[in-house]
Amino acid sequence: MGKGFGELAHVRGIIKYSLSPFEQRAFAGAIKYGVPNLFRRFRGQVLRVAPPFIIGYMVYQTVEGRHTQLMRKNPTDFENDE
Amino acid sequence: MTMPIRKSHPLFKILNGAVVDLPAPANISTLWNFGSLLGLCLVIQIVTGLFLAMHYTAHVDLAFSSVAHICRDVNYGWLLRTLHANGASFFFICLYMHTGRGIYYGSFLYLHAWSVGVVILLLVMATAFLGYVLPWGQMSFWGATVITNLFSAIPYIGTELVQWIWGGFAVDNATLTRFFTFHFLFPFIVAAATIIHILFIHQTGSNNPLGIVSNVDKVPFHPYFTFKDITGFIVMLAALILLTLLNPYLLGDPDNFIPANPLVTPAHIQPEWYFLFAYAILRSIPNKLGGVIALVMSILILLILPFTHAAKFRSLTFYPLNQLMFWSLVSIVFLLTWIGARPVEDPYVLTGQILTVMYFSYYIINPLTLIWWDKMLD
Repeated sequence: MGKGFGELAHVRGIIKYSLSPFEQRAFAGAIKYGVPNLFRRFRGQVLRVAPPFIIGYMVYQTVEGRHTQLMRKNPTDFENDE
Repeated sequence: MTMPIRKSHPLFKILNGAVVDLPAPANISTLWNFGSLLGLCLVIQIVTGLFLAMHYTAHVDLAFSSVAHICRDVNYGWLLRTLHANGASFFFICLYMHTGRGIYYGSFLYLHAWSVGVVILLLVMATAFLGYVLPWGQMSFWGATVITNLFSAIPYIGTELVQWIWGGFAVDNATLTRFFTFHFLFPFIVAAATIIHILFIHQTGSNNPLGIVSNVDKVPFHPYFTFKDITGFIVMLAALILLTLLNPYLLGDPDNFIPANPLVTPAHIQPEWYFLFAYAILRSIPNKLGGVIALVMSILILLILPFTHAAKFRSLTFYPLNQLMFWSLVSIVFLLTWIGARPVEDPYVLTGQILTVMYFSYYIINPLTLIWWDKMLD
């Protein structure tokens, strides 16, 4: 099986400090920093995600409109009707 | 100190290595939840399916009414039936999200896990197709007729092969009984393949959103991802229950409430939503064998991804142009799904053909763009 804890990677010269989970609030900053961060992440991705779906919707709308027109009688054939 | 039982016991140490002491990347996102969600979907389908099988009869004269009997008379039969039908939809939602994650983040570079994954996808698609025939409604019968007839396109052996599959000269009782047999069998093969899939993943450890080696920042699976996975289960179960209890037939076809009639062809034969994109690709090619090849290739093309990946970085995280192309692929699949549900008329035919070309083009243009982007930044 894959590498287990104790044999993962050789890391030297790095010191990590951390607080015990019992000494801190679990959701500290979730709204104050979390919500602005949500908007930051959205802005970073929206221009890559949204355009294909916007174009896709426009294609759908155009093709469905064209199909509806094809299912109708041609209005110009009845222009001279009394 | 003696070794804890979870590490020493011959059975428990396997479970320990899979869901407790397994080193997992600290940065894997919600998109990594879909693996465990698929396991949950499989369990739901097997359990509900087992209970449905206790009351279902696989015979052309009894199948349709046995399903009605389940829904009306069997205790909580209505719930078993609707959970099983909607559970299949959720299975495919999770499958497509899981595969999409694999495509975006370059997880396909784990060749063994990826190949087994494609096999599982094909097995689940086969299982769903077989299962949809069992209620023996109009769409069950005619969907089975359309798809099994495709095999006749195979040169030389086609006609005999189809008659062998049917057990006769058309979809009939012999077909229904064997479809039930295989629909029952396949999920257990899927379960075995899933275990092999997980085995391969555990050889290397999971990929992560950055696509870089994560050995320097691993956390134990328990408690972080046990609880994260449980959260995912709650979210998915909530969605499944909402759909099942509030609008159970939203994703279904009204024609399947009509008993199968070989003498009456429905105006619009179409599969369930999760097959519509492939159905659109099938219908885009004017040649029968060509359409069948395109249908099969639309899934098998996933297998070439590991061999066409020539980028410096594993994931698309650092390739904005390719991200745009990925989301274009998703949009194309959505549009193909729409086209698959539309009749074969203008302008849907040409639209479907263009979208089919665009779908397959992704797998060529994407690696070329990756190489060009790397060169440009050098």
